[in-house]
Formats: sequence, C-alpha cells, structure tokens
Amino acid sequence: MTKYKFTTVEEMPPLAFSIESTRKIPTGSWRHVRPIYKDKTSPCEVGCPAGEKIPVYFDLVRQKKYEEAWYKILEDNPLPGVTGRVCYHPCEGQCNRTFYDESVAIHNIERFVADKNFHNNPPERISVTDLLKSEKVAVIGSGPAGLSCAYQLARKGYRAVIYEAGHEAGGMLRYGIPHYRLPKNILDKEIGDIVSLGVQIKVDSRIGKNIPWGELEKYDAVFVAVGAMRSKKMSEGQRLNSSRSFGEAEGGDLKGVYSGVEFLYELNTGGSPQIGDKVLVVGGGNTAIDAARSALRLGKSEGSRPLSGKVTVLYRRTRAEMPAVPEEIEEAEKEGVKFEFLVAPVKIIGYRGKVSKIELQRMKLGEPDASGRRKPIPVVDSNFTIQADTIISAIGEEPDLSFLPYSFLKKGVRVFVDDDHSTGVPGIFAGGDAATNPNGTVVNAIRAGKEAAAAIDEFLGWRTKMDGVKQQVVQSEEINTFYFPHEKRAKFPRISVEKSKASFGEVNKTLSEEQALAEVDRCFSCGTCLHCDVCMTFCPDVAILKDEFGEYSIDYDHCKGCGICVNECPREAMELVEEELQWA
Amino acid sequence: MGVNGKDSLIHPSIDKVVVIEGTHAASHAVKLARVQVIAAYPITPQTGVVEKLSEIVSHGDLNAKFIKVESEHSAMASCIGASISGARAFTATSSQGLALMHELLHWAAGSRLPIVMVNVNRALAPPWSIYVDHNDSLSQRDTGWLQFYAESNQEVLDTVLQAYKIAEAVSLPVMINLDAFVLSHTSEPVAIPKQELVDEFLPPWKAEFKVDPANPHAFGALVGPDAYMEMRYKLFEAMEDAREVIRNVDSEYSEKFGRSYGGLVEEYYADDAEVVLITSATAVSTARIAVDEMRSLGFPVGLAKLRTFRPFPVDEIRSLAQRVSKIGVMDRNISFGATGIIYQETKAALYNAPVRPKLFGFIAGLGGRDVTPETIKEMYSHIMNNDTPESETIWVGLKQSQKS
Amino acid sequence: MGQIKYQLPAEEILAPGHFACPGCGGTLAMRYALKALGRKTILVIPACCWTVIDGPVPFSAAGVPVFHTAFETAASAASGLKAGLEMQGDHETTVVAFAGDGGTFDIGFQALSGAAERNEDFIYICYDNEAYMNTGIQRSSATPFGAWTTTTPSESPKAENKKNIIEILAAHRIPYLATTSVAYPDDMIAKIQKAKEIRGMRFIHVFSPCPPGWKFEPEDSIKISRMAIKSKVFPLLEIFDGVDYRLSHEPAGTPVRDYLKMQGRFRHLKEKQIEEIQKTIDEEWERLKSKLVSSKRTRQSNGGPLAKERNLFHVKRGEALRKE
Repeated sequence: MTKYKFTTVEEMPPLAFSIESTRKIPTGSWRHVRPIYKDKTSPCEVGCPAGEKIPVYFDLVRQKKYEEAWYKILEDNPLPGVTGRVCYHPCEGQCNRTFYDESVAIHNIERFVADKNFHNNPPERISVTDLLKSEKVAVIGSGPAGLSCAYQLARKGYRAVIYEAGHEAGGMLRYGIPHYRLPKNILDKEIGDIVSLGVQIKVDSRIGKNIPWGELEKYDAVFVAVGAMRSKKMSEGQRLNSSRSFGEAEGGDLKGVYSGVEFLYELNTGGSPQIGDKVLVVGGGNTAIDAARSALRLGKSEGSRPLSGKVTVLYRRTRAEMPAVPEEIEEAEKEGVKFEFLVAPVKIIGYRGKVSKIELQRMKLGEPDASGRRKPIPVVDSNFTIQADTIISAIGEEPDLSFLPYSFLKKGVRVFVDDDHSTGVPGIFAGGDAATNPNGTVVNAIRAGKEAAAAIDEFLGWRTKMDGVKQQVVQSEEINTFYFPHEKRAKFPRISVEKSKASFGEVNKTLSEEQALAEVDRCFSCGTCLHCDVCMTFCPDVAILKDEFGEYSIDYDHCKGCGICVNECPREAMELVEEELQWA
Repeated sequence: MGVNGKDSLIHPSIDKVVVIEGTHAASHAVKLARVQVIAAYPITPQTGVVEKLSEIVSHGDLNAKFIKVESEHSAMASCIGASISGARAFTATSSQGLALMHELLHWAAGSRLPIVMVNVNRALAPPWSIYVDHNDSLSQRDTGWLQFYAESNQEVLDTVLQAYKIAEAVSLPVMINLDAFVLSHTSEPVAIPKQELVDEFLPPWKAEFKVDPANPHAFGALVGPDAYMEMRYKLFEAMEDAREVIRNVDSEYSEKFGRSYGGLVEEYYADDAEVVLITSATAVSTARIAVDEMRSLGFPVGLAKLRTFRPFPVDEIRSLAQRVSKIGVMDRNISFGATGIIYQETKAALYNAPVRPKLFGFIAGLGGRDVTPETIKEMYSHIMNNDTPESETIWVGLKQSQKS
Repeated sequence: MGQIKYQLPAEEILAPGHFACPGCGGTLAMRYALKALGRKTILVIPACCWTVIDGPVPFSAAGVPVFHTAFETAASAASGLKAGLEMQGDHETTVVAFAGDGGTFDIGFQALSGAAERNEDFIYICYDNEAYMNTGIQRSSATPFGAWTTTTPSESPKAENKKNIIEILAAHRIPYLATTSVAYPDDMIAKIQKAKEIRGMRFIHVFSPCPPGWKFEPEDSIKISRMAIKSKVFPLLEIFDGVDYRLSHEPAGTPVRDYLKMQGRFRHLKEKQIEEIQKTIDEEWERLKSKLVSSKRTRQSNGGPLAKERNLFHVKRGEALRKE
C-alpha cells in the first residue's frame, strides 16, 4: 500500500516527497461500524392521528415552499384548514421540544400552510395513481370521516359518492362547530377541493329515508360515517357515569332547556336560539365550551343584555379532567365564561313551563376510572339550588344508526368494527364517531376515513396488506440540544377579547409568515434529515459528500466509522450499524 | 598556483584587494554569492561572520533576509526552511554551535538541500576552549555534508563561492571549515572578485524540488523499509558524484578567477618525495615551510593538502601511495578509543589498494596548541627514522611525552 | 435564529484516506485550518501525529505543500521558509507551522519563543491533544493536572497544572493570539481567516480531543471538546498585541466533573481531586476576567483597539523591508 511504484533506484527521485493523494488509500477498511442515514419517526407524527408527516412539511415551510408543504399535508389530511383551527393537536403533546422548553406550535403551522394555499387548488399529482378504477364506493355521511375516506379513495382512482342527510356537506364540522372557531368559507373551500378531485356529494340524501338502503347495492363497498349527532339526555349521561338514578329526565322538557348539539345546529343554520340572562352549560367537553362561548356572543350580539359573567359551565370533575381543548377553556375564561367545578345537576326546576332553577349536588374526586380520570363521587347532603333561565346540556353525543338494515354487530350504541374498520358484513366498513372506539375528534375521524379507504382498497383487491413496519420513534434524549438555542414558542395572534366576544367572527388569526418561519425553525425535525450539514462539518475523514441536489452520501472507501456524524446529528436521522467482518 | 604569492593578487577578475580577517572573507563571499536568506547565531570565533553580514545586509549591499535566530539549532532549521522554499541559504557557526546543530545537519542533507555553512573550527568543551582543533566538524562526518578545510582567507572566500556551485549541482549541503583565530581572526590580503564574474560563475539557483502551492508535495514523510535504503543510496551516489564536480568547479573557477586549489587534494613536492605528510587547514601552510626547509637540506619530503574530508579523496590518496614509501597523517583531532580521524580514513582508503605504504598517525595542535614548522619537522623525522610506527597514535608536542 | 449551523468554506483541501485514528480532533483542526487558509498555503509540520496522519511517501493528504521538519523546529523552519518566499517575491503564500502540544509547549518551545520575539510573519497552529500521543500517550507540559498517561500512571497521575502557553505567548506581545476548538468550527475558521489578514506572528491554540489518548469513544470527540469549553476548562479567547484580551464565547460554566467523567484518563480521580480541579478552573477564570475587564478599560481610554494600529505597523515594516 505504501510502496513507491518505482522498481529501480534510477527511477526514484533524489528525495522523498509525495506524488499522490491519500485518497488512494482505502482507510474504510479500518471500520467496524458503519454510519448510515436513516430517517426515523418523530413523536409528533405518532401523536397525529391523521399521520401527517410533520417534519417533512415543516422543512418545506422552512424553504418557503408553501404549496409543496400543503401537498404533503394533503397526502394524509384533506382538511388542514379545518384541523389547523379545531384540532386538539395531540401532536404537540408528544413534541420532544416540550422536554426542552415548550412544544412547537404545530397546530398553528398547519393552519398557516392551509391558509397560505386558500386560493390554490390541489394539483393532479395529489392523486396516487392516474389509473381510474371501475369500482365504486359509497360513503354515508360527509363529516370528517366520510370526507377523508372519499378523498383518499378518489386519490386511489375510485369513484366515491357521499350521501349526506343534511342540506350541506360537512357534518359536525358544519353543524357542530361555531363560526368563530371555524369560518364556513374555510370548510367550503376544503370540501370544494375534495369535490374537485372527483368525489361526488349527494346532499339531502338520508339513507333509510329518502334514499333506500337498496340503492347502495350498486356499490362495491360502503363506508358508514354518519357520526354522532344526537345529544345524550342529561339523565342518560348521569346514569352512564354514576350509580345514582334520578328518574326520568326531570325538568328536561321545560322551555329554556337545550341540548348542546341542538343549540349549535340552530346557530349554524342561521337560527337564533332564545336564551336568557343566566345561562348554565352542563358538561366539560368541546361542545360545552362551544355552546358557552356561543351563548356569550348570542346575548351580546343582540345588544340588549349585558351578559358578562352570566354564562357558567358546570362540570362534575375539576378543570384538570375536562376533555375540552385547554386553549378553548382559556379562551372561554378570557371572554368571561365562568366555571363551577365538582357539581352535578340533580333536577331542573321550572316555573310556568320555563326553567327557573337547577338543583345541583357537590362532588368530590375518587379513584381513577376506566378513562384514567378520577371519578366524581357525590358528597352526601350537599345539594343546593341556583337560579337559571337557560340550560344547555352538553354531556356527550351518540350516533343514530336506525337506518341500518342488517343486524350489524353493535357495541353500546355504535357499530362494532375491527382494526381495519370492517364491520363483519363484507364490503361494509364504518368509522368515525358512528363506530366503536371513537374519541369524538375531527382528526380521529380523518384518520378513520384514511384507514378505511386503505382497507377498502385492500378489500377490492388493488392493494395487498402490508405488515406494519415497526416505527423507530425518536426519544427526547436522542436530540442533540446543543444545536438548538432556547426560543419562545410562537403565540398565535387573536382579535381582542372585547371584539371576539361581541361577534361570531373568527377569534384566532393565522401566524404571520415571519412567525411561522421562526416557529418552524424551532422544530427539532426529530428523525428527519434537514440537510443541515452537521454530519459533514464534523467528519474528520472528509467522507461525507453532498451532491448537486443537496443529498448526502458516505464515502465508505474512506469512512473509518468514528461515529461523530451519528453522535452529532441534531435529530437522530443517522445511525451506526455493525460492519460485517470480512476476513481477507 | 602560489596561493599566497603576490601574483595571485593581480588578475583581471579582481575587483579589489582588501586585508581582512577570515570571518569577513566568508561574509564577503556570501554577499558575492547573492545569498537570499541568512540565519545564524553568534559564537566565538565565528562572530565576525555574522557581524559583517549584519552590516552588509543593513547597508543594503546584499538583498537578503537575515534571521537572527535564538540558537544554532534554529539557524540550521531556518536555513532548511529557506532552502526548501528555493532560496539560497547560508549560516555560520563553530564548535558547540555545530554540535547543537547535529540533528539538523542530517535533516539538511537528507532533504538534499544545497545549504552552505562556514564553520570556524574550535575545540569542544569541556573544558572550555575557544581555540582551534577539528573535532567539531569531523564529528559531523556521517551527516551527509561535504566538508572543505581552508588554508587561507582567500581560500575561504573562493571555497564559499565554489561551494554553492557544487552544492547546487549535487543537491547536498557544504561545510567550509577554517581554523579558529589562525584564520578567523587573522587579517590577510584577500582578492575580491568582480560581482559580474561571480554572477556568471554562479547564476541564481533554480531548485528542482521545492515547496510550491502551485505544485504541492509533502517532503520528508515516512518511508518504509522498501524505500529508505534507496533514498540513502541516492545520497551516497550524490556524494560520489561530488568528487568529479569538485574537480570541475575548481578548474572552472581557476579559469575565471586565476586561482585553483587542486580539487580534493593539493600536492606539494609530492611527485618525487619518499615521505609525504597528509594534513589539512592552516597546518598546511606551516608544513609548506617545513617542507621547504627540509628540501633545502636534501630530504625527499612532500606534502598532501587534504582539501575535502567529505567526500574523502580515496583516489588521490591511492595515487599518492603508488609513488611514496611512507605516509604520515597529521590529525588535529582525536577519536577516543581509536586514532586520529584522517589517519583512520587514510588507512581505510589504502587497505584494498595495490600498493600500501607504511602509515604514521600523528596527533597535534589540539585545543589551539601551536603547530610550528618544528612540530612538522618532528613528524618527518619520526617517519624517516622508523620503518613502522611504534603505535597507532603518535602524540606530538604532548607535555612529558616520552616522544620528543 | 433556529438551529446552529455552520457556513464553512466549501472547498475541501484535505483529502480522505489519511492515517488519523477514528474521531481525531487534530485532523478536524487541519481540515478547518485548510478551509480557512485556502490553497496558497505551505505547512511546516514537526514530529507529531500529523507526521503520520499526512500519509507515508508517496502519499499526502494535506493538498498543500508540506515540509516535514524536526520535532523542535516548527517555528524556526517556518521562519526560514517565509524569508525564502519573501526573497523570491512571493508575499502572498501563508506559511503555517502546524504542531502538536509536545512540539509547541515543550521541545519546540525555544524556537517558538524566538520566532515570536522576532515577530516572524507566519501562523503557528498548535493542535493540543494534551500529551505525546504519537509516541503512545506520554505526559507533556500541556497535560492537565490529574490526568493519566503512560508516564503518569493512575497511581501517580500528573501532579502539575497544564502550562499556560497563551499567557507566555501573550508576554511576547505578538499581534494576534487565539484559542479555539474543533467543536466550534465557525469560531476556528473565523479566527484563522482573521489571522491570515494580519502580518507578523500569529498563534492559534486549538483544543483537539484524542479518543485513544483520553480514553473515550471516538464518536464523543466533539461532545467532549464542547464540554471543555462549556465547563471553562478551555476558554475561547483572542488576544491582540498580547495585551488586548477578548472573550469569544461566554460559557455556561457547567461542572468540570461532567467533563472529567467522560474520559478514562480521569477515571481514577477522587471527589476531592475533582473539587480541586474545579477550584483551579474557577480561580483561573477569575484571573482571566480581570484581564478582560482591564483590556476593555484600556480599549475605551484608547478610543479603539490598539491592535489595528499595530497591524498597520507590521504591514508597513514588511513593505519597508521588501523595498530593500
């Protein structure tokens, strides 16, 4: 290896000097471990039910490729403008940055990307295939699950037809979420995008009513995604969660009593529910908060009664156990909604057919229940009565499955489905809030639709089931935090409380470009290479190369396997693997 | 020839004749050779060289960088650095300074750099001595340097000029030795040649191998056993080649400047001599007087002046051996545990020769002990009176010596 | 702000295939130095790891000319080389002596001091791996207190503190002095680029971790160097004219224990010795701080850095010499 190539002394130069580069020496043979580039899964991706490739689209945002970023989201979620506003963003809860300073504001970036593309249409290439398949699939319900399923089927080349009972598409997105959280133009735009990809939506088409079930037989598969649109009765809710029985819906028929779903439906369809001065909302979920904040606006918008402090949310447990999105609770509080914790309604007392009082009972927290939350236990002899003229009950929703002709396997009030959303009836799939294991969120519905589309694809024989690859999720201690100076999380802009509580206009605004870019820069991009060059920078063997497209390759002829690149990678996008020993 | 003869001071090549010390003769030669980088550290009795050069450079008479280093070791390192860049480099030292340089003498030769150094021969300590003997330079015999010993201040100047020509031809460094005080601090008339003629004789050096960003090489890195030996053979070969180069340069010099020193060895009455004494440096001048006197009395004695010690003039000595019956060697040095160094080398040169006269090895003049014509005559007498030497070292002038 | 990234000069002058151990800090130092210096550079390398790293004849990794010189002659050989280039009319090529701590702090120190005093016009880069590594980990005067080496075994680890080479060189009042680390390549490159623009003697002290010598896994090379900076073991500094001290990076001051615990050479240390080391670091930092404060005061009263004028002086002196 180190020999001069001269064979005779005459050929040799008079003194020893180099004539070639060490590049000819294959020092890679010293190596016993080999660095490789290997992208891993970020915890936020795992945390996102829709499975959005968050680090990937963040990188596109970083490069100001906003359209590309949008397309990336669209692969998993056709409704980023919606989820960017209303998602409870479990992704952020998993964010590794949480352990360092504050989680990255992923939710706001999603919205930023969607809003940047408000005037764009999804491109042809968002489709997985150019091949149009002959199979047709019916989707019942145009809520997030139905839209997501139909959309993914369309991407796969299927003809998908959505049957929607209501007059407009969107399901709960349209009828259950107030405008100040989700303006209708956003929803309309994204539904329009889905339609533009070839999805047909038949509105005013309630299966089992004006459309016979039999019509669905011309389809090769059906996806049931009718959601949970019916409010639970207060008494039912109590019975479900407490050993005490109150008898039959005491006072439930009085004037001034609404269910949360009814109340929001009326508002969202242009109605104006009559409410009084003292509004009580029962429940701790998002519907309760939406109803409370809407009631606040309703009073104010009429301009006749000063309502501040007159909308109170009653909840059986404490704030910590509330299922509503914490930001929404904070917002409600900012706007003046009051909270009364550890109380449960016993009965509503009327006067002349109208609500006048409610009897409540004090609760205390006991042992954790199946949901992991501490169970409310009534305190004996703690009943008391407060004044009220409007009571909105928002203690949960359930599906209406009365239209289903077959004896579908049900669990409780929902359609029982397998992991792949199959119902047991061949070709019939179900998902979203209508099916078992829902969590009542938009993003979980989107996930269900996506998964069901894949299952239908399999069912129709176009795709073979793939064994899931075990995800390698990047842990917080694997991040090389040296590379990330502490930085504050972006605060989303909002209109003033004074303004927000006075109308149904959207409260939260989109991040400015500057804010979004700064926030994206906070992202560790766990497990996804950002081509930051740290690996190259610290290679003592000059064995990491970058091609004209900015992609790295490792020169294994010279890499000695020191592992600095892997150790220094800020985001765990590389790893060292054992080299197979070769005996010369 | 007549190096010291008046006629040598009249020649068209001469610019002027000055009366200067041996150290300054070296300095003038450096100026004439248009040396570009000088790095030196002062040591008695070399100081005259650096003082004069400092003057010359600061007057602008020589466009050179003079690096006033903090040691002889750094002096040689700086010369090596300058030389590998392609510049003509010079240093001067003596005795302890030369010993300190030792490692870098190998470095200069191994790097095949034509550095020229003037060494004022001074005895090594302890005990401290500032006077002449040759152990300092002869201790460096295996470093790969050519070694010249000068007899006069004129020869110092002429040899420095020849030395660059030789060094640059064979890519080896050259050391020119002159005796402490006897030459270094003694003023003699010295003919300074015309600069333009020196320029013709010694054009600027064009280094074949040098550090050059436009053509990057690494010099002197590790070599394995598969190449080191060849590298050493190349150096050996260069030293062998140097013999012919020395002869040629001397005759070219003679043609141009009218002075010659006989190449490697200069003989004096050796053609018809029966006994010849080999010696070097200023002892040669003294020996010339002794020979003149003994010849006038009819003794068939002669003299061989050893001008180069490296390369050792094997051929010249063998040729001498064919003509004479006895050879004496006067060493102004001693190799402890052996003999005088030149005596050893002479013996070695003759061992495989067809004719091998008797050899007598004399040690004299150590640490500045005077070597007078009488001292030399004593040596001739000893040779003539004995068929074989009674011992391998015959110390001459030693107090309480049984030898007189 | 976002992630820390490094914008280094793109050209790779150092070639792969060199003979450095995996994870070598001294090699990264060379890679960055060459990026900062460019191709018009000549390296003078005395005996040190780089004698081997650059490759045996007929190979070389450096990509620029290299002169391998004797152990103690980096500064003196570089002095001569620069003089030689100047005499041949080359005023552009940067001459760089690139030496280890042994060749700098110890055996080459005399030549270095001489060159510094003469304000020779070259850059001296010392890649400090805190012991004689090329010969197999023997202590040098750059080895820190308490460290194991083959000549300071764990039963009697090094009892003396590391020589403060920076203060010694500052006392020579050379125009530019900087300390840097391979964990901060941007800092290192900026300092060498700055040094390149200054004439006269410039000294760059590079903290260069050695996995086999310090006994840690090669992959931790950068992490350990970073910890040395963060724990104030090795301050990142610039000193202009030997008097004007500037801190390049204010470290967090993490406990030195964390730094020591990562390295096998400190494994034998008792808690008490670690405390002693911490105390020394704290005291040294206080001393440094007082220098920084007085430098600042002087700068303010001078109405600007002294160094600038000095540099002009050096350039002028160089020009004057050239005219001769």
